[in-house]
Formats: sequence, structure tokens, C-alpha cells
Amino acid sequence: MAFLEVKDLKVYYPIRGGFFKRVIDYVKAVDGINIRLEQGETYGLVGESGCGKSTTGRALLKLTKTTSGQVLFNGTDLTSVSAHKMHELRKDIQMIFQDPYSSLNPKKRIVDIIAEPLRNYEHLSRKEENKVAREYMERVGLSSDSIYKYPHEFSGGQRQRIGIARALTLNPKLIVADEPVSALDVSVQAQVLNFMQDIQKEFNLTYLFISHDLGVIRHMCDRIGIMYQGRLVEEGLSRDIYENPQHIYTKRLISAIPNIDPAHREKQSAIRHQINDEYNKSYKNYFDNDGKAYQLKAISPTHFVALP
Amino acid sequence: MLKFLLRRILIMIPQLFILSVLIFTLAKAMPGDALSGQLENAHADPKVIAEQRQKLGLDDPIQVQYIRWINHAIHGDLGMSYTHKIPVTDLIGERLWNTLLLAAATLIVSYAIAIPFGVASGRWTNSWLDKWVTCYTYFTYATPLFIFAILMMFLFSFELNLFPSGGSVDPQAVPGTLNYFISKFTHLVLPTLSGALLATSTTIQFLRNEVIDTKIQDFVATARSKGVPESKVYSRHILRNSFLPIAAFLGYDITGLIGGSVFVESIYSYPGLGQLFLDSIQQRDFTVVSALVMISGFAALLGTLLSDIILSAVDPRIRID
Amino acid sequence: MMRLIEPLNTQPVNSEEKSPSALAILGRELVKDKLAMASIIILILLLSTVYITSLVLNQDQIVKIDLLEINAPPSEDHLLGTDQGGRDIFGQLIIGTRNSFSIGFLITLITGIIGLTVGLIAGYFGGIADNIIMRIIDFVLVLPFLMIVIVCATIVPKFNLWTFIFVMSAFLWTGKARLIRSKTLAERELDYVSASKTLGTPNWKIILREVLPNLSSIIIVNLTLNLAGNIGIESGLSFLGFGLPESTPSLGTLISYAQDADTIQNKWWVWVPASVLILVLMLCINFVGQALKRATDARQRKG
Repeated sequence: MAFLEVKDLKVYYPIRGGFFKRVIDYVKAVDGINIRLEQGETYGLVGESGCGKSTTGRALLKLTKTTSGQVLFNGTDLTSVSAHKMHELRKDIQMIFQDPYSSLNPKKRIVDIIAEPLRNYEHLSRKEENKVAREYMERVGLSSDSIYKYPHEFSGGQRQRIGIARALTLNPKLIVADEPVSALDVSVQAQVLNFMQDIQKEFNLTYLFISHDLGVIRHMCDRIGIMYQGRLVEEGLSRDIYENPQHIYTKRLISAIPNIDPAHREKQSAIRHQINDEYNKSYKNYFDNDGKAYQLKAISPTHFVALP
Repeated sequence: MLKFLLRRILIMIPQLFILSVLIFTLAKAMPGDALSGQLENAHADPKVIAEQRQKLGLDDPIQVQYIRWINHAIHGDLGMSYTHKIPVTDLIGERLWNTLLLAAATLIVSYAIAIPFGVASGRWTNSWLDKWVTCYTYFTYATPLFIFAILMMFLFSFELNLFPSGGSVDPQAVPGTLNYFISKFTHLVLPTLSGALLATSTTIQFLRNEVIDTKIQDFVATARSKGVPESKVYSRHILRNSFLPIAAFLGYDITGLIGGSVFVESIYSYPGLGQLFLDSIQQRDFTVVSALVMISGFAALLGTLLSDIILSAVDPRIRID
Repeated sequence: MMRLIEPLNTQPVNSEEKSPSALAILGRELVKDKLAMASIIILILLLSTVYITSLVLNQDQIVKIDLLEINAPPSEDHLLGTDQGGRDIFGQLIIGTRNSFSIGFLITLITGIIGLTVGLIAGYFGGIADNIIMRIIDFVLVLPFLMIVIVCATIVPKFNLWTFIFVMSAFLWTGKARLIRSKTLAERELDYVSASKTLGTPNWKIILREVLPNLSSIIIVNLTLNLAGNIGIESGLSFLGFGLPESTPSLGTLISYAQDADTIQNKWWVWVPASVLILVLMLCINFVGQALKRATDARQRKG
């Protein structure tokens, strides 16, 4: 039994139109995604904006209604589980949000933000709550004395750590990290990422790491899935994806990673042009008549590519 | 656009239906019915009354009565006035024009004041002009219409003797003459100003905020950097954006104008629909009352329809297709 | 791996020290606004005078018609003279102000609670319920409110204080509900609401503890401005003769005597004090409301 298994997940949004506002079509934000995660690993979900990667993450946490498919967490299907059972399971699955500004309620003190999950699940006294809040503030590298402050008194990086502290208080097993560093300065990004790796070891966390930044993904992830228009086009170990990309869309993405060394500039440019030509020429070989990716096919035990 | 129009009009049908049911219910709850409006003496023979009731269908099931009532209303028959003994439509007809004239004058004057002052105070924020205008809007926003109208009447009619205090025209003036026209105008001044001066405050505040918000936007900066002169920046770029919503609020204003007309017409004894409404209520002339409520509700519904259409025509983001 | 810790404020933080909450900011802005402060002081003085004096006054005595004292000018017996029924104006002003303010306050409270509940639910949950509620609100907003209230006032057999408040509230909750709904709609899209959901917080708690506090300043501003508006509507209806029953003293009734040409010209004591009182009341409440409104808009804050 896999730790987390997403089976043929679909999230469609209806488009209403016509005189009586009937549903005339759907936006297929997520269109049949299959993912397996083992405990303790970090799985990266990559794609351009609008490809459905964030929707996938939100659907796992039931923040978005799934149209069809299953999300099996330790064998329990989250899409059909009872509200009561879901409440229990929420402890194990937490999320880190992209925007450290809107994800913390500006009207609440840090202690209330960090203690919110505790109040829902564990009935502690005020004193114990404060103690836990202080503990976690220190765990994420912030002063435990600042728990009576309000979110606006912290920087973006600090806020993101508070968001992480809040997610950690329930000792979750799986954390969905939705672009956790893309709203932060590059200088702060590394701090937060390293910190996330630290706590992963410490708490034996499993990450579903959603990002559009290939550099960040390579730094963080064991396995990677490339998403395009609601479907996975390629999946494999970090090595498979970065060193042996097979799908034309993946190739294009990888070739777009900037290279710092100016000596390679000419070479890099030539590669990009070559891949762009290939993309234009062989587009039909990789996508069906509707412009959708094909089903994934194994080309090695760890490496899957969407081919006809 | 056509689809939007059609759907918007379609939404009005259930609204009209509920409005009519509401008014019918109120009318049924009112003492007196169509019969009491026709009987000459109150001491008629009970048997005759019963016969008459039968004939008029007052004993029919309520839904039958409703259908008959609405059917008549659609064909322009709103019943007979109990006190005036003439059809309600004739009674309203005379006064409708007075009210429309007052409403139109109020709207025109209020916009004529609000637009220049709103734009100027938004353009030169924190100038002395802006401060005075803001002060003015605070006062007019807070002042109730009936007190303001009384004060205006006291000051300009009784103390300064500049304008007449009541009526819509000098009864001695002969229609068609210049005198008649002037009399009509002087009678209109105070009621119009009372309504208009108070109505300006929201428009001024809205315009001021609009102009302040628009003048820092990128497209205005672009226009400036292209070398468009400052006056043109305002007339071409900022005002065009700020005026559209103002134009669209016209329709929504109708509900407010109806309410205002009740006060203004009552204070200045201006013979319009508002005064007719109050008179009819006092005389328990409920056929007239329900007809007036129906007409006002209908006018307000039409007004919002108009506003929605203007808004969707000028702002594609609102349009739902 | 080395842990990177961002430098925090180096000065020690007093652990019980609280940062300014939204309400504290509103309060601070009010104190800085001289006009608003003056308004609050006037309001407190005026209302405490009115409520304390009204306890002492004998209402039956005031509303009793005294044919010997009709339209008497101010004198020692009658501080502000009497009206056309020989009733003491000063006493009527006190009781009238108390009634107007209490009614305005009650209507604001009731419509506030209804508007808040409906607006929060419609905005937070959305869907069909929201659709239906919005249709109802749009419809009620279009109704010729004043006319229908007047009709109700004449056809309801026992029209008293409570029916009056009920009829008014039945119409006036809609504007608030619409405002709260649109703000809730914007608020629920923010990630802190999603975060609360993932943390297992039940919906009702999210609405009350997460969303509501973020709307507090808007609600306070709206309620304050509405209070003034409701006092205006109440006195306006009494002015037309469709507010409270005639036996109840009301500011609007006193002003309505000014519709008589003789009274408006020669008997200022009948209508001027009541008009001034309403104007002062409405202006003060509005100044406070406008100051609060500026305080919620960071661009206009005094700092």
C-alpha cells in the first residue's frame, strides 16, 4: 500500500453560457493525474502557471472539489471519506501556502495562529498552548518572545516560517508545499528551503512540493512530475528528468534553465534554438489531436513519459 | 449584448410578479374595496351590497381576484378613486408630469453642481476648494431632506420672500403665456434645490475618489509622459473613466427620487404623485395608494434595468454572456 | 547543516505587550481627529442629559393637552414654550430625542445582526443559497421603501413602537447584507481561510473567528453611518405623520408643525429647537462615522 496514491484525479470547472446559463463546457484544470508517494520522499510537481499543479495540491486537501478520481492516503480514499474521518485525517496532511502575507490572518496574534490547530484537536490549557507555540517558534528559528506580535511585524521569510510552524504543530505526515518560496526574495529562499529539508529529516515528513522553479525543484526533490495542461507529461527520478528528458515539453523546460557561465552562452542559445525547432516539428508526435498529452509509459523502472 | 439584455429583462418578470402580489396583498389588507368607492351612500341596503359584491367578483377566490386585478392593470385600468370619483389613471395623469418635471430638474441641477465640484476637488486635493467641498458634502450628507426643505422654505420663501412657498404654478396665470412659464419656474426652484443640493454629496464624494484613484494609474502616467497637456489628461483620460459609473447611477437614483418626492412635494404642497400619495393615504383612498405603489415599484425596476444596461454597455467586465 | 536564522528585532520584547489591533487603530484615529472628538463629547453630553432628564420627566404631564397654554412663547413655566396643543416643548424634545435615538439604535442593531448573519453566510458558502439571497436583496432594495412603510403604518391595526421597528428592519437589513456579503466573498478567497480549513477548523469558527474580525472596521463604520441614517428616517416618517403614534412625543412631529405658515414664521420655538437637535445629532454621528471611515482607509490616516 502506497503512502499516498492519487488515482486518475480530475478537477473540472464548468463554463456556463448560452441563454439559460447551462454548462456548455469545462475547464479541465486537472485531467487525470496519477501520482504515488512513499513515506519520507519529496515529490516535485513542476509546470508553467495554469497547468493545474496548484489545483492538484488543493484537491488533495479538499480545498477544491474533485470531479472524479481517488486520493488514497494510507489506503483511505479522501474523496469519499466521511466528514468526521476527514477531520481526523487532516492532522496528518498539512499545507504550506504560497503567499506568506494572505495565509496568516492579520487580525490574529502569532500565538493564536500557531495554536489554532491545537485548539481544534488537543484541548490544552492556555499555559500549555503558549509553551507549545514558543517551542515551535524556536524550532523555526524565531524568537519565542515574539508570539504576542501580529503577522505584519514580521518579514516575508519569517512569516513563511510561522506558516510552517503552524503546519507542524499537529505532527503531520504529509505536507503539500504550494510554491512555498516563490513569493520570497532569492536570498531568503535558500534559508527556507534548507530549513524545510532539516525538518523533513527530523519529523520524517513527506513533501509534495509544487513549484515552477526548476532550480528549487532540483535542490529539493527525489522524484519529479512534469505537468502540462492538467496532465503529467513525464515523471521520474530527479536524475532521469534533468539528465535524460524524453518528452519534448520537458526538454524545452530544462533547456530554459539559465546557465550562469557566460562562456556557455553561445552553446546554450544554440541548444535552445534546436529544441525549439524540434518542438515545432515534432509537436504532433507528443500530443494528441486535442493538444492533450498521452498516457504515461514506462521507459525504465523509474522513468515514465507520455508517449502515444 | 443582446443575450444579456434579454436575460436581464427576463429576470424582471418574476420581480414584477412578486411586486404585484405584494401590492395586491397590501391592497387586500387595506380597509375598503372597489365597492366602497362606488357606493354613493354608506347606508345602502345590505342585500344590494351583497348583490353588488357578487357582481364585482369580490366574493371570488383570491387568485381569481388577483388575476382579474392584474389583467385590468396591464390594460391600464387601475380602478376608481374613492374620493375623487374618477379613474385612478386620470387622477395620476395630471400629476405625473409635475413629478417628472421636478425629478428631471432635481437630477440636472444636482449633476450640474456635483460634477464640476467633484472633479475639481479630486484634481486639487487638499486645496482650499477641496476642503470647502468636503465640508459641504459632510453637512449635506448628514442633513435630513425634510429639515433642509423646511429651512430652505423658511429662509428663501418666508424671510427673503424670493420664491413662492407652495404649489406648482400661480393659479391666476394663463397657460401658454410667459407669465405662466415664469411662475412655473419660480415654483420649481425651491423644491428642486432642496432635493438637488442634498443629492450632490454622494456624487461629489464618489467622483472625488474616482478622480484621485484614476489620476495615479499607469495609463494616466503614460498619457502625461506622451506629452498630453494636463487639461486634456483630465478631459480625455480621467473623466471618461470616472463619468461612466455616474451615468449609470441615474437609474438607481429613481428609488431615492421617489422617496424624496414624498417629502418635498408634501412640504411645498407641490401637486405631484408624492403629495397625491399622502393625500390618498390620509383619505383612505386605497385604490389610488396601491396604484401609486405599483407605479413607483415599476419605475424603480425600470430604473435598475436601465442602469444595468448602461453599466454593462460601458464596462465589459460586468457583462455576463 | 547550518541553520540560518534571520536577525530579529534585537531589543527584548515584553511578552505581554500587544500590538495595536484594528479597534485600537480606529480609536487612535478618532482621538487624533479633533472634529470627531468634539462630536463624541457633544454626543455623550447630549445623550446623557437626555436619558437622565427623561427619567425625571413625567411623560403623561408633557403630552397632556392644555388649552390655556396654546403656542405659548418661552417662559419660566415652559422653558421653550408650548406647541399648538399647549404641550411643553422642552419636555417633548427630551423624550423625542430619547425615542428617536433609541429607535434608531435598535433598528441599527437588529438590521446589523440580520445583515451580518445573512451576508456572512451568503458570502462564505456561496452557491445556490447565495444566489437566492442576492435575488431577494436586489428585489427589496428596489421596492419603494418609504411608500410601503407608510402603507403598513396605516393598515396595521395596532401600529406601535415594535411594529414600527419591525417594518423598518424588514427593509433595512438588505444594504448591510449586501455589503458584508461582498466583503466576505473577497475575504474567503484569501489563503488564511484555506489554511484554517486544512488545520481542521470548522466553518462556523472560521466565519466567526477568522473572517468576522477582518470585517470589523467596515462593520463599525457602516453601523455608525447607518445609525444616523435611521434616526433621520424615523424622524422623517414622524414628520409625515406615519412614525410613532401621535401620543408619543417625537422630534419629527414638532418639525411638522412648521408646515403651518403661521408657525414657521412666528413661532420659532416650536420647530427650530427640534430641527437643530436632529441636525446636531446627525452631524455628530456622521462626523464620527466619517472619521472612522478615514481610519479604515490607510491612505487617509492621520498617522
